[in-house]
Amino acid sequence: MRLVELIRLALARLAVSRLRAALTMLGIIIGVASVIALVAVGQGATSGITSQLEALGTNLLTINPGATTTGLVRGAAGSATTLTTDDAAAIGQLEGVAALAPEARTQQVVVAGSQNTTTQIVGTTADYAHVRNFDLWQGSFLTSAAVQAGLRVAVLGATTADDLGLGASAVGSTISIDGLPFTVVGILQPKGGVGFVSQDDQILVPIATVEKYFTGSDSVRTIDVSVASADQMTDVTNAITAELRTRHELAAADADDFSITNQAQLLSTVGNVTAILTALLAGIASISLVVGGIGIMNIMLVSVRERTREIGIRKAIGARSSDILLQFLVEAMTLSIIGGLVGTALGILVSAGIDAVAGWPLVINPTTLVLAVGFSGAVGIIFGVWPARQAAVLDPIAALRYE
Amino acid sequence: MTAPARGDEPWYGAGRDLAPAVPIVEINRASRVYRMGEVEVPALVEADLRVEEGEFVAVVGPSGSGKSTLMNLIGCLDRPTSGEVRLGGTSVADLDDDGLARVRSRFVGFIFQAYNLLPRTTALENVAAPLLYQGIGRGERLARARATLERLGLGDRVGHQPSELSGGQQQRVAVARALVTDPPLILADEPTGNLDSHSGAEVMALLRELHRSGRTIVLITHDADVATTATRQVHIRDGRLVA
Repeated sequence: MRLVELIRLALARLAVSRLRAALTMLGIIIGVASVIALVAVGQGATSGITSQLEALGTNLLTINPGATTTGLVRGAAGSATTLTTDDAAAIGQLEGVAALAPEARTQQVVVAGSQNTTTQIVGTTADYAHVRNFDLWQGSFLTSAAVQAGLRVAVLGATTADDLGLGASAVGSTISIDGLPFTVVGILQPKGGVGFVSQDDQILVPIATVEKYFTGSDSVRTIDVSVASADQMTDVTNAITAELRTRHELAAADADDFSITNQAQLLSTVGNVTAILTALLAGIASISLVVGGIGIMNIMLVSVRERTREIGIRKAIGARSSDILLQFLVEAMTLSIIGGLVGTALGILVSAGIDAVAGWPLVINPTTLVLAVGFSGAVGIIFGVWPARQAAVLDPIAALRYE
Repeated sequence: MTAPARGDEPWYGAGRDLAPAVPIVEINRASRVYRMGEVEVPALVEADLRVEEGEFVAVVGPSGSGKSTLMNLIGCLDRPTSGEVRLGGTSVADLDDDGLARVRSRFVGFIFQAYNLLPRTTALENVAAPLLYQGIGRGERLARARATLERLGLGDRVGHQPSELSGGQQQRVAVARALVTDPPLILADEPTGNLDSHSGAEVMALLRELHRSGRTIVLITHDADVATTATRQVHIRDGRLVA
């Protein structure tokens, strides 16, 4: 029998018992929808987190000082003061280093007119905006000349400017940091938070200014290094390690007194973790597909029992066992494939909703769709074969007598 | 009622052209024994029967006499335990299950006591159903089914489901379904058993008319009055045929 005849038989049958067909499909619909939604949301989250991380600057290496050791107690990483502005200057000479931004931080009270706030004062260089992907909203960034001279100039983060009640016209005005007058030269575009630290709530000043007026120390908290190209990341990391070990006069057996974090490694770690979570969730969701398949098998077995006489009649008027087998198999597959298609549509809707609420991009992978519909068809075959076989092997005489 | 060309049924078509040498039904010493656990129950014992083309034969016997067993053998729903059943010259014993299905599809038209129409299916689709298993396209199926229904005076009932038809009408739809494939043999099993006397008489008149137009008919019944419609009667008792 031709497939189109079988499909027509199946659709006519499903039209007779619409409610039962709909309820039977529900299991597959929920299964497919949840697989698609979970995978799509997982991929949306990955691409959302990835783009936030990329906003930190690509090809970025971050160098932090090591931990202090007081007696037997090891302090937090970065608590030591082993990195200096001279280290930063030396690293700036290395090949493959495109830009360099050391950071010296201090927390100070800032006053502008009648408003005041307490925020991070970040001493850095003119390269900082480039290395950390900051865009200016108003005015200009710190100039090399200002950094060299250690001028009292400041670039405000978007949130800080807001807190101080400063708008676009604030460029050129004077604010007070720890009682010292600073000239506002620029205000940054907002960037959004990463983790718990807002990059928008800080004031950027020349690094020499921090040393001269606040800390009195040439130690730096972090050195951000922008590498010229992605394939130089390893080479530059090795070069920096060698340079710093030489400068810090470490013996071969000594551990590094600094650490270098690779932005690309962080990205790929995040990617791996979310991929594993996505696969895990999809795996759990596909259990419901199997449950849906069992629902189809259950209904098909009931259907074979109910339609025993029909099967006998069909055999008496010339149907072969294989005709009966295919009729019931195609019926089961029709249920599961229609369920799969409806589930796909529902899954896309749900993931669009979740991504919209979370602010992630909607990522629908065509492979996922093909897999989901293909898998639901396979479920129809796997769970439809047995009931169809039961129908096909019925003895026509007994089936005709069945009441 | 002229038969359209039947064409592609080589296994019996060739034999039929040699008529009258080959009978439509030929049963030689056929027995059918059912096994109920340890006990063997003979339902049919060494039956001999010949039905020539164009005959109208009634097999008459009380319930439990082996009538149904004989009908199942003639209708290729079952195989004999021993002996031989030949339809159109071909031995059924040589056929596998698909072969039997093919005989049912091409050679036999069944009419049952309980009509046995497909439920929730229109008269038209019911009559067209046997053609589905001959691999005939939908357009031709429906055209032939409609023509057959119209010939039996059911042209205004094509869209009705069995539940919307009277018993007599349902049985006439069943007759149409048996005729639509234009089979060499019509096998009627108590066709009036579920009908009131008026509808029963109508169905018997229809069978008589089919016989007059050249159909070969085997009628199975327990009712001696009904059997008189046939041109020849064969009696069956305790699994044995008595002429």
